[in-house]
Amino acid sequence: MQSEDRHDDLTALFHAQDEDLQSDAFVERVMTPIYRRARWRTPLLFGAGGLGIGAALSQISGLWAALKAYSPEMGSDFSVTIDTMPAAQFSLESQSIWLAAAAIVILGCVALVVSERA
Amino acid sequence: MKSDTDLAYDAASGQEAAFETLVRRYQGTVRGLTRRLAARPVEADDLAQAAFLTAWRKIGSYRGGSFKAWLCTIAYREFLQARRKQKPEVEFDEGAHVIAFDVSATRMADHIDLDRALKTLPENQRICVVLCVAAGLSHSEAASATGFPLGTVKSHVGRGVAALREQLATETVA
Repeated sequence: MQSEDRHDDLTALFHAQDEDLQSDAFVERVMTPIYRRARWRTPLLFGAGGLGIGAALSQISGLWAALKAYSPEMGSDFSVTIDTMPAAQFSLESQSIWLAAAAIVILGCVALVVSERA
Repeated sequence: MKSDTDLAYDAASGQEAAFETLVRRYQGTVRGLTRRLAARPVEADDLAQAAFLTAWRKIGSYRGGSFKAWLCTIAYREFLQARRKQKPEVEFDEGAHVIAFDVSATRMADHIDLDRALKTLPENQRICVVLCVAAGLSHSEAASATGFPLGTVKSHVGRGVAALREQLATETVA
């Protein structure tokens, strides 16, 4: 079959050339920027991701309290008054900013990793 | 020995050492390919390096199959990109194309004959011969890499190989 014709004699000549091109110096030339980049990239990404996760976790308890106040039916305490609502809303907005910031940091890290691997 | 696919998946998960193994395994193929396509050895090694770095960046998009074909396609595209930027008057530097490595005189003579014969081929024939005969891609893999129709690749390889044999026979007789 023509499509699978083999040219072993010529292929052997080419392979002999390719074998002579094996060089540690070339491997080092390719790998040096890759290893160098990996050295700062991993701590940076994990550091930023960790900060984001930490910020998000630190807000969970406050968020729960705010949600309880904002949605009285969720809690066992039905004594929510009109006076508590504005404070709860303010608290919720404040938490949301932190959560949004943490989410942005995490999404940024994920996007960075995905774009590098794409 | 780990397969190319396993190493590629390890590399995609961030293991640089796995990628280094692939570089060692295919440096000859990729450097040979770029040397046969590019005008100068220095430029060829730049292209080979660029091809491996692109492969590292895109390793996550490797979906199995022949890793060599995937890598050679990247190297071929690096060559095309470089050629677009290149000045049109740059031609093959015959003297510089000789591989300066520790090889015997007989083997070096074979290399020179082969390089010289390869350079006599029209560019598209040379590309197809380099991809299919030298790098070992199938005709369909070469068609996919170059964008040439499959029939054209087959035809270029057939004619290129015939011309190459004729050139080598002539040089042997001479």
